[in-house]
Amino acid sequence: MQHLIILSLILPLLGGLLMLLPPINVSRVRQRNFALALSAAAILISALLLQQAQQGVIGVYALGDWAAPFGIVLVADRLSTLMLMLTSVLAFCSLLYTFGPRNEDGSFFQPLLQFQILGINGAFMTGDLFNLFVFFEILLIASYGLLMFGGGKTRTRAGLHYVILNLAGSAIFLFALGILYGTLGTLNIADLAQKVQHLDPGEAPLVRAGGLMLLIVFGLKAAMLPLQFWLPAAYAASTPAVAALFAIMTKVGIYAILRVFTVIFGDAAGPLSHIAGAWLWPLGLMTILIGAIGVLASQDLRRLIANLIIVSVGTLLAVIALERENATAAALYYLLHSTLISAGLFLLADLIARQRGKVGDRLVPGRGLGQNRLLGALFFIGAIAVIGMPPLAGFVGKALMLSAASSVAEMSWLWPLVLGSSLVALITLSRAGSTLFWNLSGKPAEIVRANPVQLLAVVILLAMPLLLSVFAGPVTGMMAATAQQLHDVQGQIGSVLQPVTQMVEVK
Amino acid sequence: MEALYAFCVGVLTASGVFLLLRGRTFPVVVGLTLLSYGVNLFLFATGRLNVSDAAVLGAGSNHSDPLPQALVLTAIVIGFAMTAFVVILAMRARGDLGNDHVDGRVPEIVLDSEERN
Amino acid sequence: MTLMWIPLLPLLGALVPILAAGLGRTACAWATAVLPALALALTLSLIPQIEGSSSIQAQIDWIPALDLSISFRLDGLALLFSILILGIGLLVILYARYYLSAQDSLPRLYAYLMLFMTAMLGIVLSGNLLQLWMFWELTSISSFLLISYWGYKSEARRGARMAVTVTGAGGLALLGGILLLGKITGSYELDVILASGDLIRSHAWYPVTLVLVLLGAFTKSAQFPFHFWLPHAMAAPTPVSAYLHSATMVKAGLFLMARLYPALASTDLWFVLVSLTGLATLLVGAYFALFKHDLKGLLAYSTVSHLGLITLLFGLGTKLAAVAAVFHIINHATFKASLFMAAGIIDHECGSRDMRRINGLWKYMPYTAVLAMVAALAMAGVPLLNGFLSKEMFFAETLQQDFLGSLSWIIPVLATLAGIFSVAYSVRFIHDVFFNGEPINLPKTPHEPPRYMKVPVEILVGLCLLVGIFPSLVVGPLLALASSAVLGGELPEYSLAIWHGFNTPLIMSLVAMTGGLLVYFNRRHIYAFQKQFPEFNANEAFERVVRRLLAAASWVLERLDNGSLQRYLVLMLLLWVLVVGQSMLHLVQLAGDRAQLPLDGVSMAMALLLCAGALATVIYNRNRVVALLMLSVVGLMVSLVFARFSAPDLALTQLVVEVVTLILLMLALFFLPQRTPRESRPSHILRDLSLSIVIGGLMGSISYAMMTRSFNPISDFFLQNSKTGGGGDNVVNVILVDFRGFDTLGEITVLGIAALGIYNLLAGLRLFMPSGDADGRSWAHDRHPLVLATISQSVLPLALLVSVFIFLRGHNMPGGGFIAGLVTAVALILQYVAQGVDWMKARVRVVYPRLIACGVLLSTLTGAASLLFGRPFLTSWFDHFHLPLVGDFELASAMTFDLGVYMTVVGSTLLILANLGQMTTSERPVTKEQD
Repeated sequence: MQHLIILSLILPLLGGLLMLLPPINVSRVRQRNFALALSAAAILISALLLQQAQQGVIGVYALGDWAAPFGIVLVADRLSTLMLMLTSVLAFCSLLYTFGPRNEDGSFFQPLLQFQILGINGAFMTGDLFNLFVFFEILLIASYGLLMFGGGKTRTRAGLHYVILNLAGSAIFLFALGILYGTLGTLNIADLAQKVQHLDPGEAPLVRAGGLMLLIVFGLKAAMLPLQFWLPAAYAASTPAVAALFAIMTKVGIYAILRVFTVIFGDAAGPLSHIAGAWLWPLGLMTILIGAIGVLASQDLRRLIANLIIVSVGTLLAVIALERENATAAALYYLLHSTLISAGLFLLADLIARQRGKVGDRLVPGRGLGQNRLLGALFFIGAIAVIGMPPLAGFVGKALMLSAASSVAEMSWLWPLVLGSSLVALITLSRAGSTLFWNLSGKPAEIVRANPVQLLAVVILLAMPLLLSVFAGPVTGMMAATAQQLHDVQGQIGSVLQPVTQMVEVK
Repeated sequence: MEALYAFCVGVLTASGVFLLLRGRTFPVVVGLTLLSYGVNLFLFATGRLNVSDAAVLGAGSNHSDPLPQALVLTAIVIGFAMTAFVVILAMRARGDLGNDHVDGRVPEIVLDSEERN
Repeated sequence: MTLMWIPLLPLLGALVPILAAGLGRTACAWATAVLPALALALTLSLIPQIEGSSSIQAQIDWIPALDLSISFRLDGLALLFSILILGIGLLVILYARYYLSAQDSLPRLYAYLMLFMTAMLGIVLSGNLLQLWMFWELTSISSFLLISYWGYKSEARRGARMAVTVTGAGGLALLGGILLLGKITGSYELDVILASGDLIRSHAWYPVTLVLVLLGAFTKSAQFPFHFWLPHAMAAPTPVSAYLHSATMVKAGLFLMARLYPALASTDLWFVLVSLTGLATLLVGAYFALFKHDLKGLLAYSTVSHLGLITLLFGLGTKLAAVAAVFHIINHATFKASLFMAAGIIDHECGSRDMRRINGLWKYMPYTAVLAMVAALAMAGVPLLNGFLSKEMFFAETLQQDFLGSLSWIIPVLATLAGIFSVAYSVRFIHDVFFNGEPINLPKTPHEPPRYMKVPVEILVGLCLLVGIFPSLVVGPLLALASSAVLGGELPEYSLAIWHGFNTPLIMSLVAMTGGLLVYFNRRHIYAFQKQFPEFNANEAFERVVRRLLAAASWVLERLDNGSLQRYLVLMLLLWVLVVGQSMLHLVQLAGDRAQLPLDGVSMAMALLLCAGALATVIYNRNRVVALLMLSVVGLMVSLVFARFSAPDLALTQLVVEVVTLILLMLALFFLPQRTPRESRPSHILRDLSLSIVIGGLMGSISYAMMTRSFNPISDFFLQNSKTGGGGDNVVNVILVDFRGFDTLGEITVLGIAALGIYNLLAGLRLFMPSGDADGRSWAHDRHPLVLATISQSVLPLALLVSVFIFLRGHNMPGGGFIAGLVTAVALILQYVAQGVDWMKARVRVVYPRLIACGVLLSTLTGAASLLFGRPFLTSWFDHFHLPLVGDFELASAMTFDLGVYMTVVGSTLLILANLGQMTTSERPVTKEQD
């Protein structure tokens, strides 16, 4: 059933469009329910695709029936379908959260959410570099719109910075694409990987420049130092559901880095192999550092979580920089965990803030919460997960990543930073928790109870780390297979550039 | 010719970058527009320069590389959308923050204040 | 597999109290006790299987990738600790039922206790080091919950935070050490690691590994200088202290040392680190215990010192020392637990723990007094009590080492000194509390506690006596099992007799006794001496340190992130320069060998205008209207450049986009200031100039390098298949609507989304409307000049006709949906300008968001249609038809696709411009409005 691949993109697109038209656009409720149905369908589709990809075959979908490298192809391999699944789950939970009291104003919110998902999914599925640019723009313009929902000074300022930085980033992206096309004469990722292998060494520096410019663009999305400054403000400013969905946005950047620099500039790229590592390694490590500093300096819960995201990004980048199969597998496992948990924490932070009255999520003593015990317990679980303490998945991921470092140099850089950042998280979160839930200046003014649907969203997300660790055996196995397929460049080239796709056989 | 063309690309890029680094929203927008001109010319040139080629089939023997043109077209449209958004966002920022500085706060040192708001 | 149940039962036991909460406190207590009791029985039943030095295992695979299996392993050492953990745990459960007051939730405490018990059992029973680490951290977490049980008290919160931070930090170090062990031996399985001791000790990483592991052990076991967290953990309810600080939490570190003894011990480094740390801790703890007025404080420091004693024994590295260490672990657990419980009783009955106020309790609670005193004497190491035996062994061992060469005598001397202090504070505990005059204004008059509150104490004190009198009979076998497990099989010769004859250790004991008594009764002088030192409160110190850390972080962050977009951009551009520059340095020569086009006048003129325009835009950027005009000149030139290099489509598109952008910016300028103040620092201008010039140079040279090199792109394919496969002569257009139609679909989606987002922005916009331009000239009064109106009206049909023409020819000649759309939009905008919004509103009934949606929908559905024919999305279809009169014409799916593009473009452009235009009028979109 090849058309599943395109369905994963058509669904959010058509869904978003239909939500703009009667009869669905007449009421928020209708839009929301429709969106939920879409999201459920999306989960089903991604699950099917993921399950297909686990057979090890790479599904290639030639749009317009033009085979790669001439047409644009969508590639459903282990990695892309994995990310697709992650997105669908995340989107579902964010969507659930919009069912709460704070329903975002404007009839465009739900459509924009769908377009955002379209952009993200497209970025994961496409096998064509320029098409990746287009989907980046889709997810960006949608995120601009979503970020600005609600208005307010801080939001506007954050939005302005975010937008301008990304516009500059898009310019760099186009320059880079131009360089790659102008030297290698193609845009399909697999084809690029192939052409790089037979590149005249005289031209290598040009291609290298193009490749590294891509690293900047993706690094901006992933919030890699020194391109991470926009993140805390933007994430702290956006409405909870949006912030939760944004948790995947940094991972889009990381995915792109993983894809481009493992496949195009991978082992087989001759003089250009592993050009990213030399930059990713120090920058990733420094990102951990700056993230940790940000964590310590955070005055409110949302910023704290946002900075924790930066820490996790740095960790991922540093581990990816090792450019080894086991490192990639470890990073992937941790990526799943960190995405889900940070989304869950963003939503939880909103629940907490709303029960604390006017102190909101600022880390100062305040009145008690309506559901102190419940939210306290959830926060406790979330904290353990995000710190990376056993028995939740964070610990498995960190242990995997640490043991992926092999040489003394790698260990002596990676271990102190990763373990140190965990300690920082431990200190700050234990402080935050005891301030929020124990250091109370009195009983709550009026008992606010969390909306059950929103609570459900949080619980689902916070349950993920537990599941990930209980089933760590099979999951890590899956990640290993995924990494193995990603690093098998020739295999990808072979299956993407095969002259006829399954579709054509129908003719 | 190529050198001249490359020079123009450089000039456009440089001016764009310089304006991008200004403190107020409007020059930044103008800068982004200039930068996108530079980008588009750059992208267009990846198909190499051809003076008298046929644009459409049948009208001539040799053809210029059509793919970069298509890419530039897409880039132009997306650039237009983005420019429009950032312009309106700049207006919005002026409305919300009371001034048109990119950081929403006017720096202490204003060497001469023609600012009217 | 029965082994699995030992930790599993308490885990399930965590639920029991919550379920049994309704049954009343006593029932809840008994219900909670059931499962641990079962686990204890199970443990004891397994003893026969581990006779000798054998061990039993139970394993389940979990994470092969991490070599982390769920693996439990019971040997002598694990057995001993399991018995302590479960046995004392049970007593604590019973005790807590009477200790806790009615308003404290008993089930919650029990649940936490059970979790903690599980974690401890997990540590001692782990057969896999990573798993051991898991439980290690779990003890930190659950002890955090226990210590902060009274979370509303600030000292409880702080104590808990400090404990979890210190032990957590140690835990992270330990993880490092364990990972290193794993890398050295290639496995985390305990059997493997214990077997490869020589390999580990000889490995280059041994020192690092040892230090990391010991950091874990020392923090957990409150060894100097990490001892400070333990006394503040006393903020916990006394039953918790009795559990954590006698048998469990703090013993975990000692257990780790014992566990890894065969793998890591008996090197000089080990001796130096372990024994000296132990010695220091022993002294520090014993000394400070003497000055604590708080009953629990005294016990806390004495715990520290006893932990030091045991550590020192492990450090000495002789086999007998190890045995002595294990023996003292048992003894300390029994008497310290009973002492804590006794202290709890006193606290409970007097409402105070301050020894300056609690005096002469002998009269009020003689029975409890007897129990407490026996335990205290055991702590002091008085004969016929268990403490005496292990202390004798300890003294004996301190004499048996010669690591410090000629200075080795120091160790026994200091040991005796510590002995003196421990006697002193034990005596103080007895004398101050039970004699020494009358109680001083206690909250309540003390009396004996409830019957069952004493039972746990009785049992423990009974054990102290039994072990003290019949050591080999009571504890001999267990000790032998445990010690042999520590020593990896072979046991040294030792006797647990009470009387070894009149030997040096005995003399040391006697010295300690008499010395202790002397010290206590002359304590005034020592107190006076100690008074000269400022009171050091670790709790506040720690808080201060953490606060400083946070402050420092904020300071650094403010330096790095000043919230200025310009800085962010500069950093990004710098990175850009770095990566590109670093690459370009390797490019041997800039110019390639491809034939270059000759220069000609026209081009030079265009280039001149282009550059002049760009530079003028920069130079006049502060006068925004001028800058805008210059910008438009540049835009025009760019489109001419496209035309010059045979790209008519681009030229056209660029032209119309230019027009629309210009209108947009003009409108925007109406709301924005029309001048930019001069505010950039000269240094910044310099920085920006150099940065932009460098980037311009780099991009220019890359462009040149590329243009002068030949390459073989994939585009020949498009030229060949455009007609046959795409049905169009205009290859560019065919690429847009067919080969890469997916890009175009995405592109119009972007346009549509942008329009929607802009609509939202405008809806929420608070307006600032100037009455005139920058120079104060007010706007023209005639808003819709008649001339303009008439012209625009006559232009409209023409414009529409043109756009239709452009649209239709698009597939074969330059043109297409996008350009047509923009032309239409411009024409309509002209109407808005000329006639005003109201006039248009009356005539144009299109709801733009819907138009956009329909447009994208049309294109999408066109693409989806091919699915019906089993072809991939966006597969194009076209055919030529012949109609009489009309002649040959072509129909292509591409046309509907392009129609969608057209609609989207018109919709988006008008949505943006019309709404923006409306801003100048009374008609404004409002937030809640639908669309």
